[in-house]
Amino acid sequence: MSSRSEIFKALHEMEPREIAHPGDFNHFTHSKDVKADFLNSMAIVGAQVLEVSNTSEANLQLDQFFPGMIRYDSMAVVEKGLDLEEVDVLEIKGEFGVSENGAIWLTENNLPNRVAPFICQHLVIYLSKNELVGTMHEAYDRLGDSNYGFGLFLSGPSKTADIEQSLVIGAHGARSLLVILI
Amino acid sequence: MLNHAEASEKFIADAERTTWHDETLWFVRSKRDKVSKLLPEWEELREQASSIKDHTLANLAQYLEKFEAQAQANGIIIHWAKDALEHNQIVHSITAKHGGKALVKSKSMLTEECHLNDYLIKQGIEVVDTDLGERIVQFRNEAPSHIVLPAIHLKREDVGETFHEFLGTPKGNKDPQFLTEAARQHLRGHFLAADVAITGVNFAIAETGEFVVCTNEGNADMGAHLSKVHIACMGLEKILPQRKDLGVFLRLLARSATGQLITTYSSHFVRPRPGQEMHIVIVNNGRTRQLARPEFRNSLKCIRCAACFNTCPVYRRSGGHSYHQPVAGPIGSILAPNFDKASNVDLPFASTLCGSCSNVCPVKINIHEQLWLWRQDLMKDGLAPAVKSFSMKGMAFVLSSPKIFRLAGFFGRTIMRYMPFLVNNSLNPWSKQREMPKPPKESFQDWYKNRK
Repeated sequence: MSSRSEIFKALHEMEPREIAHPGDFNHFTHSKDVKADFLNSMAIVGAQVLEVSNTSEANLQLDQFFPGMIRYDSMAVVEKGLDLEEVDVLEIKGEFGVSENGAIWLTENNLPNRVAPFICQHLVIYLSKNELVGTMHEAYDRLGDSNYGFGLFLSGPSKTADIEQSLVIGAHGARSLLVILI
Repeated sequence: MLNHAEASEKFIADAERTTWHDETLWFVRSKRDKVSKLLPEWEELREQASSIKDHTLANLAQYLEKFEAQAQANGIIIHWAKDALEHNQIVHSITAKHGGKALVKSKSMLTEECHLNDYLIKQGIEVVDTDLGERIVQFRNEAPSHIVLPAIHLKREDVGETFHEFLGTPKGNKDPQFLTEAARQHLRGHFLAADVAITGVNFAIAETGEFVVCTNEGNADMGAHLSKVHIACMGLEKILPQRKDLGVFLRLLARSATGQLITTYSSHFVRPRPGQEMHIVIVNNGRTRQLARPEFRNSLKCIRCAACFNTCPVYRRSGGHSYHQPVAGPIGSILAPNFDKASNVDLPFASTLCGSCSNVCPVKINIHEQLWLWRQDLMKDGLAPAVKSFSMKGMAFVLSSPKIFRLAGFFGRTIMRYMPFLVNNSLNPWSKQREMPKPPKESFQDWYKNRK
């Protein structure tokens, strides 16, 4: 018997138990001010936020944030992730943000390559302030059954506290995250 | 192999370090308290997560079938492994098929459980653990001592020494920022050169066939997206029915684990990228056996957050290695006897049964009750150490008759008063590191009778 059949045989031999799925979770607290909550979460997760009224305003400021660095904002597909190794600053667009934890939803449609937001040294995400939801429940309601090949919630720069629990920003992924809220 | 008590004795020999370990983990527990209390719906969330897991475990066959079909439709290759060996063989054969010589691996407690690294290294494959904590313990040829904080038993001096030896960092440099940067540079080289990437799975969604991997460092994604082959290894209990169930679990996981709002990266893998091969190995290794035991089955609800480690007064003062299992702490102590009763008989006894583990568990596993049930199970099987069986029988004899009980109480008080050396010696484990209490002058019964 294959291991697959063996596993299913063991599962089917167990006494059937009728336990219903509890259904949707509706007890969550609704955010009174999603933008204020989002900014608060951004501070907690160690991301910087720039509030601007349009993209060109952001452009000017980015030069000051990342002086002399290579900025990369092309969305053209890069087949080999390794080719992005030299990127200092990657600029991408986020789909929506979650105010309770600062997570920003990205899919591979927002990225030149899946590895892009990890392999770059610094990450810049453009996000519309009208695209914020309160909690993860609302985030998944919004995602619904949307069809992506790879997607992620990204919250802040990469970090580790594996050495004596002391927090270090910049483990393997981006060393910093700047969110431009338009 | 040392049992838990013997290994703990070694751990606590360094009092300063024990105190540091204890306080550091308690600090993580406090962070968990702080963020969980910011959510008024925290208790309802735990209840919801627990109910979803109960439902899923009761319908596991149906959900596993659905997950398999969906994932295959998404272009993922599914493998089934009955035990650790088959899991290792599958991973090796995929790697070998691609001529893979170098492999990067992000954190996966399942691969620790299966001892995958040892197996692959014996087959001549280089395995590099990419989580910083896991890399540190891999260099030192040690096992992780905590499932979320693998190197929590080490101080920065130890890491500095290890990196000096293996990465050539300057001797004496113990700055976490500097050492992390050294690891970043060192591991980038491995990411870029690896043929195969292995990751764990935090959640697998039956409805969509996708799986979610949570990290803070970004190491799982660096490996998975750069390599030609991605192998994700999961225990068969990792299933959730639907995508929106993730809303509940992603809110609980990081808050319970480290007191973060969410992990930095919660990556949802649905389809391989063009030109990439994606495999999922679904492993049993005793899980269906545990599932068939009504009193222990809900240990399979565990999402590996380690909140029960951080709160446990025994874990904090004995360290992860004293549990001699890949998953230590209270949850490890109720999972281990399922693998092998005889060699893990000490673990359900490594607890005060205070219940703190059950109180912090995000999926409401009754951990302390299961510890107590395992004790009975192991005693019944005659596996308890002879001293324990003997003293339990003695205790039962004394407690069975009021006369004998009173007599024993009298002797106890008298001996402790006039011949304290008979109890304050190395033959009595209770007198290790503590003074015996002063004996009362009279028993409670005498006091009650004589009261005015």
